[in-house]
Amino acid sequence: MTQAFDRRAFIKAIAGASSASILTIPSAHAAKTKARVVVVGGGYGGATAAKYLRVMDPGIEVTLIERETLYTSCPLSNEVISGERDIKTLQVGYKGLLKRGVNVVHDEVVNIDPAKKIVATAGGKSFDYDALILSPGVDFNFGTVEGYNEQLAQTKLHHAWKAGPQTLLLKKQLEAMPDGGTFIIAVPKGPFRCPPGPYERAAQVAMYCKHHGKAKSKVLILDSNDSFSKKPLFEQAWKELYGYGQGGMIEWVAAANDGTLKRVDAEKMMCFTDFGEYKGDVINIIPPHHAGKVAKNLGLATFKNLWCEVKPENMESKSQKDIYVIGDACVGGELATNNGFPKSAHMAMSQAKVVVASLVAKFNGLPPPEPIYTNTCYSVVAHDWGFSVVHLYRVDNGQWVYIKNGSGISPVTLGTKEAPKPVPRMYRKLEAEYADGWLRNVMSDAFL
Amino acid sequence: MRKGILALALCWWASSAMAVGNIDVLARTCNNCHGLNGVSAGTTMPSIGGLPRGYLSKIMKEWKYDKRVAATMNRIVKGLSDDEIDALATYFARKPWVPVPQKTSAATYAKGKATITENCEDCHGATGNDPDEGAPRINGQWAEYMALELEKYREEEFLMPHRKMKKTVRKLKESEVYPVSEYYGAQNQ
Repeated sequence: MTQAFDRRAFIKAIAGASSASILTIPSAHAAKTKARVVVVGGGYGGATAAKYLRVMDPGIEVTLIERETLYTSCPLSNEVISGERDIKTLQVGYKGLLKRGVNVVHDEVVNIDPAKKIVATAGGKSFDYDALILSPGVDFNFGTVEGYNEQLAQTKLHHAWKAGPQTLLLKKQLEAMPDGGTFIIAVPKGPFRCPPGPYERAAQVAMYCKHHGKAKSKVLILDSNDSFSKKPLFEQAWKELYGYGQGGMIEWVAAANDGTLKRVDAEKMMCFTDFGEYKGDVINIIPPHHAGKVAKNLGLATFKNLWCEVKPENMESKSQKDIYVIGDACVGGELATNNGFPKSAHMAMSQAKVVVASLVAKFNGLPPPEPIYTNTCYSVVAHDWGFSVVHLYRVDNGQWVYIKNGSGISPVTLGTKEAPKPVPRMYRKLEAEYADGWLRNVMSDAFL
Repeated sequence: MRKGILALALCWWASSAMAVGNIDVLARTCNNCHGLNGVSAGTTMPSIGGLPRGYLSKIMKEWKYDKRVAATMNRIVKGLSDDEIDALATYFARKPWVPVPQKTSAATYAKGKATITENCEDCHGATGNDPDEGAPRINGQWAEYMALELEKYREEEFLMPHRKMKKTVRKLKESEVYPVSEYYGAQNQ
């Protein structure tokens, strides 16, 4: 029955039809409510949790609380800045979840009482829960760079690290940049949302300049880190496509080479590191961030006062019972070997599915299922050049175990170590094409 | 008698389920890229629900043991045991095959139809819905995905299995790759 439903729902959804009658979950009214779950935050993680709870057990009452009525995907939003992608292709509303029987509430959470298990909203509503899933994403710390503040981020020095209005503002600044101008991207100390994001952005900006008569321009990455995600793949592509390093379009300054941005003069459009100063025509500062306020204010961000620690078996908060934290706000994975969970959409969805499987088992009196966590993340550096990283984690003895064999980046070269061969361009083209398929599928799997 | 069969069936189910943990949990990680019940929403990613078990199991093992090139899947499946791969193949093979609606022009469709050969029909069926156990259904599969897959067969540097497939695909002209894909993609909607 559910299979037939899913099929119809899917076909209806991709056909853009909106007949609700056929899409109501048939057993929803018949089944007695087994439990009430409240999900806070309707990004990839929260939406997936809400949807899958309904798919797997219509007897669970699910309320999703989310401020916005339209979601804009962060993944592939760098392509909007370069004009390669219309932002509309990244946007999705909550009708799909309504059709799944999720009670979608557009409101802001103002208080959570973990003892009484009640969530209260700014709109004056309150919701009881048996389990609470927090997927609040990140909030920014604007105080680490002197001369920078939240207002400047909105008016002049956009971060565009939450896709939406700032993405389009940054695109406009790039379009207005003169040939020979410098586009500065300042990267905060990790971990941050979307580990390869700043470097993909650099490529997208360079691509725009190359194809729009601004080939003398420069993209300067001022980095607070000494390495980054998919580094050999990015450096190879930058070098071949846009020129990298001295004389190239893209230049990367590591923290060890004084790359950390310390101060900005928005008036003069100057960036200052300890010993260096750089004039920018566009300055894109990505501020450091931490677990979203709703989780942080509850005292759940126990890891360096930044991120929320959770249990490997089911993502339950280590400090509050029956509260689960997923997505960019949490910290997990094999931290000791530097193989923590990347803060990505795919990872958030995977975490959501682990929570759902655990809760459905619990509410049905079944033993907890064995969790598994996966990630796939594509970066697109030109319309025909993409690459990816995949991650696999299992849980053993109550600990996350990073499975090296099911993880890793696209090949940098083929052949042997002694006699390396270049990777055929077709390979890179395939991954650029797959990135788009991936996007449509993750959006569909989370929101429809 | 009936009870006995049921008990036996349950026993079999329990033991195979235990060998690979909870297969539903693992299978749902595939949904991110291949869709709920294996019905893909992305034109470059294949639907996998309802494909023959033998094909699914074979292709995942070919990637795992580096007998076939892939851009992403070859890395992902290396973390899975052969038992998990077989269980995933069974899981998705049991789902219904859902042809996805796609647009094509009459001219492209006609060109595609004229291009397909007996070799295509032998393994996939005339309209792509009658595959051999080792071959995928392709009626209503995403045309864009199939075109990319054909490009992989045409790229001499790529390690691809199946001599007959390679030979057939390499005979195609570049201008025939999309029409053939769109012809099969447009079936059964």
